[in-house]
Amino acid sequence: MAQSLNPHSPRNIFTLLTLFAALLLPFLLIFLPPDGAQRAAWLQFIGRFHTLALHLPIAFILLVPVFELAGRHPRFSYLRSTAPLVLALAVAGAVIAAILGWCLARSGGFSGPLVSQHMWGATVFVWLAWLCWVARENAGRIRTAYPFALAAAVAAVTFTGYRGGQISFGEDHLTEFLPGLFASGNGAPDPDARDLNTFYGARIQPIFSDHCLSCHSAAKRKGGLQLTGFAALMRGGKHGAVVKAGDVRASELLRRTSLPRSDDDFMPKGKPSLSADQIKMIALWIEAGASGTAPLDSIKGASAIPAASNRVEINFPDADPAEVARNRSAISTAVARLRQQFPNLVDYDSRQSADLVINASLMGDKFGDNQLAAMAPIAAYVTSGDFSRTAITDKSAAVIGSMHRLRELRLMHTHAGDGMIQAMAALDQLESLSLFDTRVTPGALQNLAALPHLKHVYVGQTGIPAAARIPDSLKGKVQF
Amino acid sequence: MQTMLDDSLQSEVKRALLQSQTRRHFLRSLGGGLGTVFMGALATRFAQPAMAAGAETAALDFSRDPSTPLAPLPPQFPAKVRRVIYLHMAGAPSQLELFEYKPELKRLDGQDCPESFLAGKRFAFISGVPKLLGSQYPFHQAGESGHWISDRMPHIEQHLDDICFIKSMHTDQFNHAPAQLLVHTGNPRLGYPSFGSWVVYGLGTENQNLPGFIVLLSGGKNPDGGKQLWSSGFLPSVYQGVQCRSHGEPVLYLDNPPGVSRPLRRSMLDAIDQIDQQTYTAFGNPETVTRIAQYEMAFRMQLDASDAMDIHKEPDSVQAQYGAKPGEASFANNCLVARRLAERGVRFIQLYHWGWDSHGADAKEALNLGFNDRCREVDQPTAALLADLKSRGMLEDTLVVWGGEFGRTPMRENRGGQVMKYVGRDHNPGAFTIWLAGGGVKPGFAHGQTDEMGYEIVKDPVEIRDLHATMLYLLGFDHHRLNYRFQGLEQKLTSVKPARVVAEVLA
Repeated sequence: MAQSLNPHSPRNIFTLLTLFAALLLPFLLIFLPPDGAQRAAWLQFIGRFHTLALHLPIAFILLVPVFELAGRHPRFSYLRSTAPLVLALAVAGAVIAAILGWCLARSGGFSGPLVSQHMWGATVFVWLAWLCWVARENAGRIRTAYPFALAAAVAAVTFTGYRGGQISFGEDHLTEFLPGLFASGNGAPDPDARDLNTFYGARIQPIFSDHCLSCHSAAKRKGGLQLTGFAALMRGGKHGAVVKAGDVRASELLRRTSLPRSDDDFMPKGKPSLSADQIKMIALWIEAGASGTAPLDSIKGASAIPAASNRVEINFPDADPAEVARNRSAISTAVARLRQQFPNLVDYDSRQSADLVINASLMGDKFGDNQLAAMAPIAAYVTSGDFSRTAITDKSAAVIGSMHRLRELRLMHTHAGDGMIQAMAALDQLESLSLFDTRVTPGALQNLAALPHLKHVYVGQTGIPAAARIPDSLKGKVQF
Repeated sequence: MQTMLDDSLQSEVKRALLQSQTRRHFLRSLGGGLGTVFMGALATRFAQPAMAAGAETAALDFSRDPSTPLAPLPPQFPAKVRRVIYLHMAGAPSQLELFEYKPELKRLDGQDCPESFLAGKRFAFISGVPKLLGSQYPFHQAGESGHWISDRMPHIEQHLDDICFIKSMHTDQFNHAPAQLLVHTGNPRLGYPSFGSWVVYGLGTENQNLPGFIVLLSGGKNPDGGKQLWSSGFLPSVYQGVQCRSHGEPVLYLDNPPGVSRPLRRSMLDAIDQIDQQTYTAFGNPETVTRIAQYEMAFRMQLDASDAMDIHKEPDSVQAQYGAKPGEASFANNCLVARRLAERGVRFIQLYHWGWDSHGADAKEALNLGFNDRCREVDQPTAALLADLKSRGMLEDTLVVWGGEFGRTPMRENRGGQVMKYVGRDHNPGAFTIWLAGGGVKPGFAHGQTDEMGYEIVKDPVEIRDLHATMLYLLGFDHHRLNYRFQGLEQKLTSVKPARVVAEVLA
């Protein structure tokens, strides 16, 4: 190509500029690595655009093989002529995203293996993308490298993107909600797993978990220090060990946490200091040899200190009223109508849910099979039903059987018999069933044996004697 | 005459308006106003829309049709518990004779109490240097859970694996009345709504033919806190606990007098209602609505209350299980009634027992005499209640609470510095034991720990307000959100100090 001989063609200038950037990247990574230290605000400002820019090169580079392959078909041959443009955009985007990424990482708060792998992955990707660009335009032998370089670039961007996702959303962000079917139960044991029977696991790690992990987690590792568990703690940070067994004064961790808040070295930085009790607890533990395995009661004097707050705090989530209304929309008219007809009989489980609770027990024998049949439109939403002392009979079995989300069902003092129980096969959410003072017989228990969530069956004053044979799956769940 | 009335009415309205504008209102609108000015300045400067400053979470709506003030409302969150049976042991039973096993105290029995126990402490009666007093009764481990229990409660012992102890309860009141007020209303002073009132205000009650909050006393002595313990405080009085008589007719004058038929009673009530309605339209006092609602409830109760309270209707075997004897005022009868009320959808059932104030000043309140009787009166019926609830599946959504208003000292009381004839202990607000059983709490569990003498808490202290927050959580409420506007404050059961839901006891 004559064009490519002209050193001032825009194409060549682009090639050289991106080459320069691609070569610059490893220097940045080696000589100015992100080390977790905080830096200038402008660096942070620019860096934040990394998350904005990074999606472009990913999308572009993935488009290239699509265009190249689809372009082989005569109908889409025009796509192949577009491929170089998309490739050029991918190279440019990759360079920009990588530099912004370095700014973000360098601006503070990022270090650790995940971050370096992400950055080196990105660097390799920039090189490969640049190689694709050169090879694509080359008429000679290098052209044969193009498909391989492209495949490698796609692989590199996948790896880099995955690591990036792990940094932002957590290491198991893709597999966290993997359905149980595919999840492998026994992975390698976590070296930082907490053993609540050890002094460290029960009294020391909770302090770190509550006060330190926002900076010293696996993903952030400020100052190179990670406080996710005993092994990580003993590895120390970039200035070496932070705990010296048996020597409280030589333990950096204790020195820094005991400083006044105004001190530059104070930890946890920007947060309230650890309580005197917590510091004393750590000191006792270091004095006693800083063991990760010493049992909970092995350290003298520690039991006098109130336990660190490894307490669970109850949160009260606020539901969005619009969402609640949306969830209820399918049944709200039916519920309103039934509430007119039967005052105080049907209500929502809570102000935040569309689950329904029916309590017919107060109507007594004024509530029978016909009244229960009127509940059919809302049957699928009922999670709790109390029909005790009503006049319902086995004729209502079908309606009860259609309440397939029932978790709790009470049929005390009714004429319910085995026919009712047979209809319960579909109630696979059922946890608690009260058949107290009904006509059920021992045969009915077989029908309940397969219900997966059933925890309690109350069969006092029924045809089931305490000596009845109970199916294995119901052992320990039947209350006489 | 007419103008005079108008004038006084006008000044009344004026005063009411002035009172409703409190210092808090003023300060709040002042803060909000300044905030608005500031945000306005920001908005013009940066030409961008100002965010609503301090957007509060919307208050929960507890309003109801005035004619049905007890109508049920769904809880804020899905609840673990639909009703509460609260067994209050007025006088403060000794944890050291029942559930707190302290072998070290037993070993030091009869020795002088260490100085450190007395420094800076106030006691009701102890003076000088008292002697340490070991448990008067032997302890043993029981149940699968293996908790220690004395031999005084052999029936409750059968349910040890259903019970969740809190052994680190703490209160800041050491006299009965204020301590009982604190336990029941979250505040040691008069005028605050009781727990049951808050619950009925928040959740209403399913059975409109019975009160939502019923109180039963076991005869003997009334609790020192008096009827304030079930009062509705500043909540509309329709939410107050309704005390039913434990002896004779449960509710007086519920039956129509001779010669008055039910239709006649109805037409009389209709006439009264009309007059009350007129009064309400004229003055708008919510207490008038309460009056109407209570007349109506009394009318409906004529049919339902007698039936609910009538333990004759229980078979003899059940009466025997509780040790109930129809016709007398007893805790046993009340436990059986409590079960019947729970079955009938009553939201909050409050039982009181009495005589637990074991100072040892006389035989009735001696640990070695009267205390035994109290244990016998309470043990069997409480166990029968738990058993009944459990066999019916109702223990899953009923919360049973058992406890007093404070604990008792590990020192023997020495009233006037003398060795007393009977054995007793003084009040100890520093640590006491209560237990919970039923929906949402860990069965066979013990939370918190006291020192080797059972004198002070060493682990996981639980304040009364923490217990309240936990119970409200089980009932489906964030304790911050179950509130009522009064005197310019969003009043709540847990008052103004921070309260914590004791997550450790939740199943």
